[in-house]
Amino acid sequence: MASLALKDVHKSYGDTLVLDRVSLEVAARELIAFLGPSGSGKSTLLRIIAGLETADGGEVWLEGRRIDALPPGDRGVAMVFQHYALYPHMTVRENMAFGLRNAGVPKPEIDARIAQAAHVLEIEAQLEKKPGQMSGGQRQRVAIGRAIVKQPKLFLLDEPLSNLDAALRTRTRVELAQLRQRVDAALIMVTHDQAEAMTLADRMVVLNERRIQQVGTPMDIYARPANAFVARFVGSPAMTLAPATVMPGNDRFARVRLAGGAEVMTRVPRNGLVDGAPVSLGLRPEHVSLAPAEAATLQAEVILVERLGDRTFVYACLADGLEMIAQDIGSSAVRVGDRVGLRIDGDAAHLFEADGTGRHADAAT
Amino acid sequence: MSATSPRAGLSGPVLALLLVGAAVMLTPMVWTLLLSVKSNAALLGDSGAALSPPYTLDNYRAILADRLTSRWLLNSLIVSLGTTAGVLVLSSLAGFAFARLEFPFRRSLFLFVLLGLAIPEQAVILPRHQLFATLGLHNSYPGLILPGLTGSFGVFFMTQYFRAIPRDLDEAALLDGASRLRLFWSVLLPLTIPAQATLGVFTFLASWNDYWWPLISATTSDYYTLTVGLASAQMNYAQTSGLGFLMAQAVFASVPILIVYIVFQKQIVRAMAGTAVR
Ligand SMILES: Nc1ncnc2c1ncn2[C@@H]1O[C@H](COP(=O)(O)OP(=O)(O)OP(=O)(O)O)[C@@H](O)[C@H]1O
Ligand SMILES: [Mg+2]
Repeated sequence: MASLALKDVHKSYGDTLVLDRVSLEVAARELIAFLGPSGSGKSTLLRIIAGLETADGGEVWLEGRRIDALPPGDRGVAMVFQHYALYPHMTVRENMAFGLRNAGVPKPEIDARIAQAAHVLEIEAQLEKKPGQMSGGQRQRVAIGRAIVKQPKLFLLDEPLSNLDAALRTRTRVELAQLRQRVDAALIMVTHDQAEAMTLADRMVVLNERRIQQVGTPMDIYARPANAFVARFVGSPAMTLAPATVMPGNDRFARVRLAGGAEVMTRVPRNGLVDGAPVSLGLRPEHVSLAPAEAATLQAEVILVERLGDRTFVYACLADGLEMIAQDIGSSAVRVGDRVGLRIDGDAAHLFEADGTGRHADAAT
Repeated sequence: MSATSPRAGLSGPVLALLLVGAAVMLTPMVWTLLLSVKSNAALLGDSGAALSPPYTLDNYRAILADRLTSRWLLNSLIVSLGTTAGVLVLSSLAGFAFARLEFPFRRSLFLFVLLGLAIPEQAVILPRHQLFATLGLHNSYPGLILPGLTGSFGVFFMTQYFRAIPRDLDEAALLDGASRLRLFWSVLLPLTIPAQATLGVFTFLASWNDYWWPLISATTSDYYTLTVGLASAQMNYAQTSGLGFLMAQAVFASVPILIVYIVFQKQIVRAMAGTAVR
């Protein structure tokens, strides 16, 4: 049974529609990441689930109970706020106890739960401190602790790592991953950091333009983006989308011609694609490599070289002005201004129809 | 470096100016204090006698011996503390409501409150006098306290302060299952303590020093506040024949204020510097 179910949730602020008939099912103990650009409605959706915002329509179900009309405190959800929202005048212990006291949990039980959470989060030494006396990372833990002690059915985290510095962020990410093994609840995390979403989530929900664009496992979304938006948004550096047309033919797979004239044989099944239809050829950097002129599909000029140590991203400009990103070995010798040959791995290429719909290499064959 | 620090490195001229200023402020106070510890008789001929002994506490003894003076002191305390408590309670509740609750005509009501800031007491004192006479409130504590509770400033001040508290906290409390009352009492109110202190001190001082309304409302000496009472005790010739006693009264009346200032120094300075709302 689904832990959380959203059915046709929609929401407007005044005349502006921000969520358009969003439906989603989250399995028990699943970790879901909401990923999307700023303003895509991630926080709004999270807040509707929490009860901090009322949807204009639709239903929210949690473990078989319809919760969209319940007050936030009665929904069985706990939330970790982006800016933590710890009560500044209460000690860490009081912060964690507040919700439990409101719920009428007996004192010994409260103490036991706090002790347990403090142990797991390694904040035992800070229990009598006030939030103002703690570092950002410690406050973050307290905020998580405050959620854990409530033993909710669903955790909601709005950009939980965005206020931490890079080192702490990586560490906390690992801790979050460990933490979720310990809690018996589903978890939804809002982020616009895709690395965070990819590493932590069982499934990702990509939001844009008021809608869910795609729901799937990180690898699924990376390998089979449902549309051009998802393809560009997930993955770094972004996928290159090269304008192309479908070539006539009787092959099983589509062959396309780039604007510059080069032809690429893909492994995208051609049924349904119209001859001569305009499409975009989607290429991830790892599917474009540097090659000697005779083996190359295209010629280009290097405009930027990004060295990451273990690999190098080469941004190259084709004769017709199209920019394409290729991946090369870490010790690559290319320099800006070099003329290079690019070899396209057509087997891994994606095609996007004019309306954005993605088509992918046939995995079965 | 030291030149930029506000404490260190006061230049000579600035220091001199400050010293002169301090002297100008302190002289009358010291003079009052000196006069108050001289006997009336000794001052009758020449008030310059205050500069030399013998000194005596007789004037203060006389004040304390007077049953009425202690009554007035008590009245002032009741009225000032009552006003302060009332203003704090009303302003906090109204401030919370204006800042956090949704109710019909919220904006218009708030504007209405702000209008109150623009109405001077003088403009309403006659109708108020008549109203209180009709209600039979003159010569009573409610009669002395109630007008002080009608000020708009406290409501405005607390509304601004509540507004400055991040809404995240409300939402966290909501998710923690807190009722509205619990949110107000356990989460938001404790965070307004600096504002309460500032507002409380100013309300107390204003109420303590108020002269006009108690002068109008309290017509029997039993309900005089200290300010009115002391003024009434001045005989026509007080300036000449009762100078020491007069000055002792003045010192006596300002002691509570002095205590308030000393205890709440921090809040007063912060309020003066305009940083009370973080
Ligand atoms: N209280 C509000 N009143 C009016 N419009 C709002 C309100 N809250 C959010 N919006 C609008 O709703 C849209 C979605 O906002 P939301 O905060 O959910 O985006 P988000 O995906 O969380 O973005 P971010 O990554 O920047 O946090 C935005 O266009 C925003 O301007
Ligand atoms: Mg957001």
